[in-house]
Amino acid sequence: MSKYHNFMQRPLSRREMLTICKGGFGSLAFMSLFGATTFSCSRSKTALDSSSNLLLGPHHLPKAKNVIFLYMDGGVSQVDSFDPKPRLAKENGQDPRKKFKVDATQFDNVGKILKSPWDFKQYGDCGMPVSDLFPHIATCVDDIALIRSMTSQFPEHTNANYFLHTGSGLQGRPSMGSWMTYGLGSENKNIPGYVVLDGGLIPPGGLDNFKNGFLPASYQASILRAGPQPVANIIPKENVPNLQERKLDFIKQLDDKQLEALGEADAIESAISNYELAYKMQSSIPELTEFKEETEATKKLYGFDSDDPHTRGYAAQCLLARRLVERGVRFIELTCPKVSADRWDQHGDLKDGHEKNAHAVDQPIAGLIKDLKSRGMLEETLVVWTGEFGRTPFAQGTDGRDHNPSAFSMWMAGAGIKGGTIFGRTDEYGYRVIENEVTVHDLHATIMHLMGIDHEHLTFRFGGRDMRLTDVHGHVIKDVLA
Amino acid sequence: MNLFDVLLNSGVAERPSDFLIFLGRIHPLVVHLPIGFLLLATLVELVVRKPKFRPLKNYTHYLWGLGSISAFVAVLFGYFLSLSGDYNENTLFWHKWLGIAVFLFSLVCYFVYKKQWKLPFYGRPILISLVVFTIFYTGHLGGNLTHGSTYLLEYAPNVVRNLAGMPDKAVPREKVTVLDSADVYLDLISPIMDRRCVSCHNDDKKKGDLDLTSYANLALGGENGEVVVPGDPNTSDLYRRITLPETHDDFMPTEGKPPLSDDEVAIISWWIQKNVPAEGYFTEMGPDEKMRDLVEKYLGLDKNNLLSQQVEVPNKAVVDSLLSYGFILNQLMMDNHFLEANFSLSEQELNDQALKTLFGLKDQIIWLNLSNSGIKNTHLEQVGQLENLIKLNLGSNTISDDGLAHLSQLQNLESINLYKTGVSDGLVWLIPKLPNLKRLYLSESKVDSATVAQLRKEYPDLKIVFEEKP
Repeated sequence: MSKYHNFMQRPLSRREMLTICKGGFGSLAFMSLFGATTFSCSRSKTALDSSSNLLLGPHHLPKAKNVIFLYMDGGVSQVDSFDPKPRLAKENGQDPRKKFKVDATQFDNVGKILKSPWDFKQYGDCGMPVSDLFPHIATCVDDIALIRSMTSQFPEHTNANYFLHTGSGLQGRPSMGSWMTYGLGSENKNIPGYVVLDGGLIPPGGLDNFKNGFLPASYQASILRAGPQPVANIIPKENVPNLQERKLDFIKQLDDKQLEALGEADAIESAISNYELAYKMQSSIPELTEFKEETEATKKLYGFDSDDPHTRGYAAQCLLARRLVERGVRFIELTCPKVSADRWDQHGDLKDGHEKNAHAVDQPIAGLIKDLKSRGMLEETLVVWTGEFGRTPFAQGTDGRDHNPSAFSMWMAGAGIKGGTIFGRTDEYGYRVIENEVTVHDLHATIMHLMGIDHEHLTFRFGGRDMRLTDVHGHVIKDVLA
Repeated sequence: MNLFDVLLNSGVAERPSDFLIFLGRIHPLVVHLPIGFLLLATLVELVVRKPKFRPLKNYTHYLWGLGSISAFVAVLFGYFLSLSGDYNENTLFWHKWLGIAVFLFSLVCYFVYKKQWKLPFYGRPILISLVVFTIFYTGHLGGNLTHGSTYLLEYAPNVVRNLAGMPDKAVPREKVTVLDSADVYLDLISPIMDRRCVSCHNDDKKKGDLDLTSYANLALGGENGEVVVPGDPNTSDLYRRITLPETHDDFMPTEGKPPLSDDEVAIISWWIQKNVPAEGYFTEMGPDEKMRDLVEKYLGLDKNNLLSQQVEVPNKAVVDSLLSYGFILNQLMMDNHFLEANFSLSEQELNDQALKTLFGLKDQIIWLNLSNSGIKNTHLEQVGQLENLIKLNLGSNTISDDGLAHLSQLQNLESINLYKTGVSDGLVWLIPKLPNLKRLYLSESKVDSATVAQLRKEYPDLKIVFEEKP
């Protein structure tokens, strides 16, 4: 039997002993002394909570039940998309340092002022100007609230990505999707509540952008890949019926035993629930990713008939996002498709790179908004479109743009959003915010507010402090709310 | 020589210098010193009989002395404060003279203890009681001067209030629930005055000789005459003062109290324009559309007032049985028990019994999602009885106009989703019956575009989402 010693009980380690004792009489006395609850989430219990099938629910009546987060990896140029600056055309080719103070940029290869290669036109009843990069999204502007005054604290992808996703520029904090599923739970027991649809590009910073951090491990994102097999081993490999179930039962027995020996252990508890969920996903995911019941008209709306394979790929991701919302998934993030140019990060050859990226996402995103709207789902679904920062109004080299965290544009559409609004202003070059600055914390606070969560009250005790997604910052941007 | 005579003869009382008023404003601070000293002296007198505290006996006269000196300073500063005026005269008279009495009594105490005078017949206890009583009563009058005579007992139990000769607490005016029942003075003007003005303009603290606690008193005006000129806001002093720049000397409310909101200013202006009516329904005075919207918002009537009601904790048996039928129930807020019921994710068949069970939560359920649930027209009879529904999703079901007929009682309904259903002209009949309907989803239903165009024309505020098939 000695070769099975891994599965047998071994003596307690010093660390385990201390861990177990910490939960013993001493801490009981301590807890009662200070009237603390043993769980950080001290939300009031009502008669309803006693039934485990019920979700804890939001703080106030929500506008949105689900979020689709369209992440524009690399940083879309604001002055080429949603923030027209005629002065760039007028002063094209002049030295920016003679016009305004130029901050150090990542590559510090500051060129001349660079006018946008694209024209802007006004669209919709609201007359919002949109560049020729996004002819399809432009048809949805009456449902969109545009924020032109976003700022980030980081001029570099990795930190800016962590900041946008977790509210902190350093690796390791829980992602906003984790916070939301932690706060609100998920309605669907067969699919995870927080799903990332991998379009081909995992953002710099990697999967830590989508991690649970100090929240329980079951709140991390599940990644669905594009293509025929979105999740590895989603089709059971056992050909004997019941074999898989029996295997899983056995693993659970072993896990339970181990858990008994160790006491409370999030890693094992989460592993058990992950096995259970994975088993359920084997039936739910194939049904989800087959688009059999979707009509040709719907597919065409998203751009399934496009000549561009990246448009077709992103269209499938957008349609999948809608189907996930229909199945009650709380938070869905779409990453960008891997076009032949780089991500939206055009340090050179802006025209070619931005055009390719825009072409891949424009029609699918517009299709998504229109489809959601037509089905009445936009009433409860919040669509968020943003990059991690903006780009400089002057060139990097001759035809690129460098990173600019001092100003960028983002938009939201759907549940609780006042369509056709433009909020915030940048200077005449689109370089810096001059009115109504919106920080990433403000954006998080606003998304949470729409989901019915008071960002100051969704906390998790970690490291001796009640942690929040917005840390000690964040104000709800009331002006973009309906 | 009397100090007051000196001050009076010097003309100080008529034109107090800024410095005196400054000292006067310190009165509320120094007034607490004699209170502390004298009560401490009393306490020492009580305990000094115990052997443990006997050594204190030699020092009590210091306490009386300190009390007496600080009482003198308090009286002096109090007099300066009274020069700045605007206090209820009767209360002020008694407060002043009782304050002087506290000073005199404590001075007597000082000499009694310093010189070890013997007093006949419980002289000392009587004297001390007198000091304590005058301190408390003077302090009470001072509180009345500052906060108004009703301040102390405003929230006292009615028994206590009756003992003090006050009437039972006024039952607060019931919150307006319909705009048509809003009274112009009682529901609009009076609450604004109460919130913003009466803390300084009341019977006891009549700043500028103006009392805004009732319509009659408001009509009396203040020291500069009437404050509202019927029909003319711009010459009305009240309106002028609330619309001045905040830094202006005449701006009201003064002393850093929060200014009136734009809505409140607009309401007062409108009220003066309408010749300052003392009563009458707001809507009968011909407010224009903008004013109606503003007041509706001000009174919080633009929100669904269903949500302001507190509903009961849902019955656990009903909850459990709904869960077993395949419903998902979501709590929608923390401080109330409103629920969303969602059947769209269920793998089970929806049956009659499940829908009947929903009726057990008819107060709580405000959102109901039955999309893609295989419901039939007859099922809608049960749905139509859930009268608190605000959102109803019936999309992707084979229901038709016959089913819609059951929904006419849903008076709170704001959003109805009929995407991919068989409904058509029945909507023309249903929509006028749903007064709160704001959003209607009709894409891929059997409605034709002519009907939609007609509905859009008749109900311009209703948002209809209808994508025609290409």
